[in-house]
Amino acid sequence: MGKKQPYTVLAVDDNLLNLKLIEKSLSKEGYKIFSADNGPDARVIAVKEKPDLILLDIEMPGENGFDVIKKLKDNSQTNAIPVIFLTGVSEVDSKLKGFDLGAVDYITKPFHPLEVLARVRIHLKLSIATNSLIAGQASKLRQVTEAQVSMLPTPEDNPEALFGVYYKALEEAGGDFYDILNISEKITGYFVADFSGHDIKISYMTASVKALLAQNCTPVYSPAESMKMINDVLVEILPDGKYLTACYMHINRTTKKLTIINAGHPPVVCLPVDGDPYLIKTQGDVLGMFKDAHFGTRSIDVSRGDRFFVYSDGLVESAKNKITWASGADSLLPVYQQIAEVPYDKAPAELVNHLFGKDCPPEDDIVVLCVKV
Amino acid sequence: MDFKDLASRLEIDEDDFMELVELFVTTTFSDIDKIKKGVEKGNCQDVAAASHSIKGAAGNLGFEDMFTLARDMEMQARQGNLDHFEDWVPDLENKVNALKNI
Repeated sequence: MGKKQPYTVLAVDDNLLNLKLIEKSLSKEGYKIFSADNGPDARVIAVKEKPDLILLDIEMPGENGFDVIKKLKDNSQTNAIPVIFLTGVSEVDSKLKGFDLGAVDYITKPFHPLEVLARVRIHLKLSIATNSLIAGQASKLRQVTEAQVSMLPTPEDNPEALFGVYYKALEEAGGDFYDILNISEKITGYFVADFSGHDIKISYMTASVKALLAQNCTPVYSPAESMKMINDVLVEILPDGKYLTACYMHINRTTKKLTIINAGHPPVVCLPVDGDPYLIKTQGDVLGMFKDAHFGTRSIDVSRGDRFFVYSDGLVESAKNKITWASGADSLLPVYQQIAEVPYDKAPAELVNHLFGKDCPPEDDIVVLCVKV
Repeated sequence: MDFKDLASRLEIDEDDFMELVELFVTTTFSDIDKIKKGVEKGNCQDVAAASHSIKGAAGNLGFEDMFTLARDMEMQARQGNLDHFEDWVPDLENKVNALKNI
């Protein structure tokens, strides 16, 4: 509506005097009036002219007001047009039936033109507000779609985040997901998650999680607070039985502090600039399952050049060989040593190559991030 | 009948009101015809519908005596009773004709 001027009202009444009175009262206030003295004509005009509002008399010969509104509401071209009924003062049942059928209001007859004008105005305002709400929601949904397209940030687009990534989804709606959060110039968040299950719903959920990360991973909140808030929202919105394992790694490159919040996810591997690789093991609940979840938290001091690997369980588990990440992660430590000289941006692909080779495709989705301090 | 007063109550100018009165006279005579035919045939539903139409229009223009008369006609016809119509119809016609002469 908004830009369309003037606003249009379709008046429907079998009594021509009433139609004329409505027309005179509303047109002098700037409304454009279409008139119909019977139901079938009214419906044709409604489809053709798409009026902003319809004033509809109930008692008409042939097709009465109830029949007309039923047909208007059954037609996708007219079902959103607000309808105000014109009804006799004592006809309580008619009023209730009118509301049941989708009318927004009624005006009792005899009516005063100023009352008609006032009700037309208020319902046009409501309609404008509703339409703008719908437009706002549609625009937000479009943002979600856009977010999905750019769901997985690339190292090229985030050079200051100093990370390399390997990402492989076995199905279109992959369960693995990662995000990079540029919290401030020297503070970056790295989030890797694995949704339980693989289905199309996950693509919507990843969009939600991405939006939640953007909202909650800010300088104002500590990493633990950010994850708690995201968890509490996910508990509300995730379908029953859905959850994620996730790891959120927060690096402040000025203070050289690294914080890991682990929600049931495989342990982060640290490959220090001088030293042997080790696992940062923490225990905690999964994300999105429990309201008062407790996550494994670890803060460590880091040095320039240290590398950290955050990955999903597809990297270390094997259903065929019955290896779970609890044991798989430990056994892989020597491999990290072997790729210590590979640049950080190439390390994830090299790691996967080392583990799986070219002829043995992974059994599950895989995401591996290598982050350099 | 003070048309000027009635017009100002509806917050429309007198010329517009006169135009509405002319339209009222035409539509009401057409409704009166329907009432007469309905009474002849003993069709209470048609009588009630036409009375209802007159009631609404008269009420909207502030013609209270015609509104009251049409309301009584409608109520009685809805109860399946067409008594008194032989008096009411000419009474109504006179009231409408009176408008024509103003």
